[in-house]
Amino acid sequence: MFTVKIWGDRGSMPVPGPDTVIFGGNTSCLEIRCGKKLVIIDAGSGIRSLGDWIAKNDLKNGPIDADIFLTHTHWDHIMGFPMFTPIYIPGTTLRIHGPVNFEDETLEQIIGSQLSYRYWPVRQDELAAKIKYQSLKETQLDLGDGVIVKTKYLNHPVLCLGYRIEYEGKAMATAYDHEPFINLFPVDPKDPDYDPVIAEEGNKAATEENARVESFFHGADLLIHDTQYSAKEYRASKIGWGHSSFEHAINAANRAKVKHLLLFHHDPNRSDMELQELELFYKEKVKNKSSLKIDASREGQTFTLA
Amino acid sequence: MQENDYARKIKTYIVSMPSLPTTVAKVMEICNNPKTSPTDLDRVISLDPVLMGKVLKLINSAYYGFQNQVTSLVRAIIMLGVNTVKNLALNTAVLDKLSDKSGFRALNMEGFWRHSLCTGVVAKLIARKRGVDAQHLDEYFAAGLLHDIGKVPLNNILSNEYIRAMSLADRERIALYLAEKRTIDMDHAEAGSMIADAWHLDGPIADSIKYHHSLDVYEGPNEIIVMAVAAADYYANREGIGFSGCLYPEKLDPGIYEKLGISKTWLEEIDSLVSTEIEKASVFLNIK
Repeated sequence: MFTVKIWGDRGSMPVPGPDTVIFGGNTSCLEIRCGKKLVIIDAGSGIRSLGDWIAKNDLKNGPIDADIFLTHTHWDHIMGFPMFTPIYIPGTTLRIHGPVNFEDETLEQIIGSQLSYRYWPVRQDELAAKIKYQSLKETQLDLGDGVIVKTKYLNHPVLCLGYRIEYEGKAMATAYDHEPFINLFPVDPKDPDYDPVIAEEGNKAATEENARVESFFHGADLLIHDTQYSAKEYRASKIGWGHSSFEHAINAANRAKVKHLLLFHHDPNRSDMELQELELFYKEKVKNKSSLKIDASREGQTFTLA
Repeated sequence: MQENDYARKIKTYIVSMPSLPTTVAKVMEICNNPKTSPTDLDRVISLDPVLMGKVLKLINSAYYGFQNQVTSLVRAIIMLGVNTVKNLALNTAVLDKLSDKSGFRALNMEGFWRHSLCTGVVAKLIARKRGVDAQHLDEYFAAGLLHDIGKVPLNNILSNEYIRAMSLADRERIALYLAEKRTIDMDHAEAGSMIADAWHLDGPIADSIKYHHSLDVYEGPNEIIVMAVAAADYYANREGIGFSGCLYPEKLDPGIYEKLGISKTWLEEIDSLVSTEIEKASVFLNIK
């Protein structure tokens, strides 16, 4: 069994309400089951319901044991952690992995600081679970039982990792929060800072890094990709914000021969109606042109890969 | 003092190697400005050999664990973003400023900086002349900029011995590295090589640091870049651009010109180009 369940797919901030019933209002959290292994990606507000589900259904089979992989430490990806019920259950073992920039505090301090009296009535030291924090880099991990996790740095204003999980010959990958790499150096010869060599090196570096990201999720059975903006919104005012457009995600997934693309990290201002229209629009766009299957992520949805 | 005490002292020093203080204020100014452009950032870091080495060292350290080595700042800025690289540089520069107030002793810091910069600029010009791929031009520059990095610990912690080595070189009209070897039992190429190891630099930069005075024994794959650095070093010393402490550099083997595909005349003709490049850098860093 290899399944992926969406517990949160919203970007930036939870947005409960009548406009977010279909696609959901919780921020990112994915539950991945590889046989008996439980892997969680991100601890956004969606992890609260996941924690309750685990306490109700898994606990009766023995103590909870899980690996939590954080894509990065922006608040919308860690805010649900204090409400993750298993941390209060004795016998729980959690291994929390995530990237931390060199000048930052440790992962434990970053996540754990949410559990201090000024923010929360329970302190980190008072948790019942056994938690091990592990700062993560671009690497490959063998979780045992045939579960392999590969990581790749993405392009976001803070160090951010994409995850690729392989199990029983199938693969799922995440590429959020992520914006395509772009040449940050002037390419217009009229620009006073223009340097032809730097401009060329910049173009080359951006192209190569984008190719590396695509090869990271190449052939994935399920790719969960950042699509916070449309190409028009992106170009108008969102360059450098660390998020992708629908157009970029679809083209990249198509080039990388991904089988199923899940449009993810919905903008908090995007209503159900707008998302339904966008989903339909992009499905129509690729119809008869590519074998790529496209869906907008819906909270509560489960995908079975094997 | 015993020879092995010198080595031990140098090793200890390398662990907390300082940046060149002249550039620290400029780095702080550039990095503290929220509107710093990628171009400004690239410029200010790449003009300081110690800082550039440290930033690349951090980026290539096990800390980030990049699968491919990042050899140019342009690429580092695109991959990690302006803010991360800015913070790396700022932290490095500020930490260094706090940890070392002594600066240079025997060698004049500004002269050393100018010599290093000139070597980087000329190595890059040689690469351009040879039609080297744009992506490798920065490696020539970095290799030239960092080639004498080993003089920093020798000069800073063994300054009395280093003054003796410089006097010996003057008196006997020999190259400084030979006098270093006789006085301290370690030359700047060896000290530099220790720094390269400590900073996890390898490839052409490390080879240029280690072999720019001993091309005849070099057997690695970066012969051309090491030769370009050696030729650029000779040019900077001969033209008296900056001061590396070496008044009597060894003449270049004519075979090197041949292998590099340049002539002595060409080296003499690039004077104005070199001074323009150095001038650009000097204005930027306010060094007159």
